Amino acid sequence: MGGGVRARLDAVWKLESATIVAAAAAVAGDVGTGEDCAQEALLAALDTWPDTGVPDNPGAWLTTVAKRRALDHLRRLRRARPDGDAVDRAGAAVAGPGEGAGDEVLRLMLVTCHPVLPARERVALTLRLVAGLSAAEIARALLTAETEIVRRIAAARAALARAGVAFDRPEGAEFTERLGSVLGVVYLVFNEGYSATSGGRVLRPELVREALRLGRTLAALAPDESEVHGLVALMELQASRSPARIGPDGAPVPLHEQVRGRWDPLLIRRGFTAMLRARDLGGPPGPYLVQAAIAACHARAASDADTDWPAIAALYAVLDALTPSPVVRLNRAAALGRAEGPEAGLALLAPLTADPSLRDYHLLPAVQADLLERAGRPADARIHYERAAALTANDAERGFLLRRADAVAAPGPSRGRSLGEAGAAFLAGRSGATARSYAQTLARLCRALGDSLPLADADASAVAGAVVTAWGSASPRTWNRHVSTVRSFAAWAGRPDLGDGLALRPVARARAAPLPAQEVARLWSLPGVGVREVVLWRVLHESAAPIGVVLDLNVEDLDLASRRAGAVTWSATTADLLSGLVAGRTRGPVFLTDRRPAPSRAPASPRDVCPETGRVRLSYERAEYLFKSATRRLSPSGLTLGRLRDPSGPVPGAK
Amino acid sequence: MRYLMLSEGGDAPDEKLFAEMGAFIEEMTAKGVLLATGGLAPDPTVVTSTGREVTVTDGPFAESKEAAAGFALVEVASREEALELARRFRAIVGDGRSVVHQVY
Repeated sequence: MGGGVRARLDAVWKLESATIVAAAAAVAGDVGTGEDCAQEALLAALDTWPDTGVPDNPGAWLTTVAKRRALDHLRRLRRARPDGDAVDRAGAAVAGPGEGAGDEVLRLMLVTCHPVLPARERVALTLRLVAGLSAAEIARALLTAETEIVRRIAAARAALARAGVAFDRPEGAEFTERLGSVLGVVYLVFNEGYSATSGGRVLRPELVREALRLGRTLAALAPDESEVHGLVALMELQASRSPARIGPDGAPVPLHEQVRGRWDPLLIRRGFTAMLRARDLGGPPGPYLVQAAIAACHARAASDADTDWPAIAALYAVLDALTPSPVVRLNRAAALGRAEGPEAGLALLAPLTADPSLRDYHLLPAVQADLLERAGRPADARIHYERAAALTANDAERGFLLRRADAVAAPGPSRGRSLGEAGAAFLAGRSGATARSYAQTLARLCRALGDSLPLADADASAVAGAVVTAWGSASPRTWNRHVSTVRSFAAWAGRPDLGDGLALRPVARARAAPLPAQEVARLWSLPGVGVREVVLWRVLHESAAPIGVVLDLNVEDLDLASRRAGAVTWSATTADLLSGLVAGRTRGPVFLTDRRPAPSRAPASPRDVCPETGRVRLSYERAEYLFKSATRRLSPSGLTLGRLRDPSGPVPGAK
Repeated sequence: MRYLMLSEGGDAPDEKLFAEMGAFIEEMTAKGVLLATGGLAPDPTVVTSTGREVTVTDGPFAESKEAAAGFALVEVASREEALELARRFRAIVGDGRSVVHQVY
């Protein structure tokens, strides 16, 4: 016997979960109920199979039971909330032949990959319901905690219910969009397995297998969709290289060094078959099919030297037109480097080094290093291999890149101190906020230029390029902070010229520019402004105290006689208004909201509640909003409270 | 994990069996589980080696003369799943046996 009922049930569930859940969901009209009914069917099997024996077609048995449970569920609903139509429709679905299990599974995938869900919830729900993995298995495959997977699945179910996502098959453009989302989820699962972004292993075969299975299933369910076959072809062809991709030490083996005899011919053949199917459907090729065509170029080549690099470079150009992205251009640069020589590749790659979206992408310096190595610049290549190693989160890949760095060139002898060493020495002995700020700047600089770059070889334009890529679009203050750090470091290291390409930017003063006196005078007489606002604005203006401090004042803090509360002071005119505002109150916030808060939004601290009225402290956001609204008469977009601060400080005599 | 299932025996194939087999193969292909399958001719050739001597013996062999034979290569997550597939297959084809090997 191949295991007890429990083990057999697990195996059947893994093979049939999609069919079972989809059938029940089709009856119930929603995926959550479908899953619950499928679980009930599993319990029923555990109850009866030990006595009756496992049926010949256990999957069909479970499907029938799950559908019946779904129908029972609908009947209960009808008793609670009469809706004869729905139950009748569902009854027909159970009794009649229906649209066939295939269509239901496709609808299930369209729901579990629904765009209302965040990508990680789509992945978890799809692996759970369509691939039949347990939460523990998903957690292991995705390197996360089981509780987190349980949470994601529950959140996804709740979101689907909230959005009222129907268990149906959309038509036309919506179908194309929803199917695109399914393809995206399948490829995400594949890539997580095929080029693991983190963790100790490069390949996670269980995810590759599940993605292939999902893709093949999808191809059978939507046979007229060219991109589905394109995705399957892409995955089969990439997966065919799995046996050759990992060396005996667990490190990744780059394509050009792989032993091609170890590529799986069965998967290559399946990949080509899927590609032909996509091509036979006609129409303009989509991005998955173009990527499959690129993979096919590699699969066809008997050796690295035989590879049709011009064709691959051209396909990447097509792909870049279909789905423009810096990563695609990076691949194109790598291919062009092989087709027309490393210099051509480096030329195409040059603008990418200034792309902020690639600044932490380890494959950019990896490709750069490879091209430099081929171009006969081993010392430069070494620096970029090391940069790539510092950027990757995958241990095996880091080891590989460091070995390539060592293989291409010995560490530069007697070139003096490296950028990384100089940076560490610069930071040594500093502490506190300044040191943290300096460390941030230098870490970015080292990552962009390479820790091991000899300081003597650094040049101002590369430094400027790195700073622009990292902070070019930051605020002037942030920019200036980093530029100042680079300049101090450069001067300290005896290379003041390194900061030459960097200029400080003017800091807009508008933010804090105080309002001119005549404008302030107009504020006090704006129509429709309540006494609370006028008092708040006047105190802010006269005391120049921070807004938070003024809003935080309580009645018991006020010394009305000497017109002050701690460091906050005000004028005699304001004092009259203030007395009116707090009249009759002895405790609680000075500045209160107009209404009492809803019970669910009660503030945490009793200090923020007026004991007499139950109203709560006016919030900073609300105060800003009211000021902005009121001052639209003075300035089209309104003003901020910060501009009330009197440039001459507290009003003379207010003390 | 891949498993190779070698099968022999079974009821004399009739139209019903062909139809059921066809449906089963289609279902497993659609599930992305079945990678390759085929029938095996009843007159195999056996190549044996003893020491440095290689002997070639032509079939058919008595014990497999009447039996239908076939193979299926499946990709599943566990041995239990492979065995479930073998069970489904045996329930369709009738008396006989299937040998399930994991493919390394």
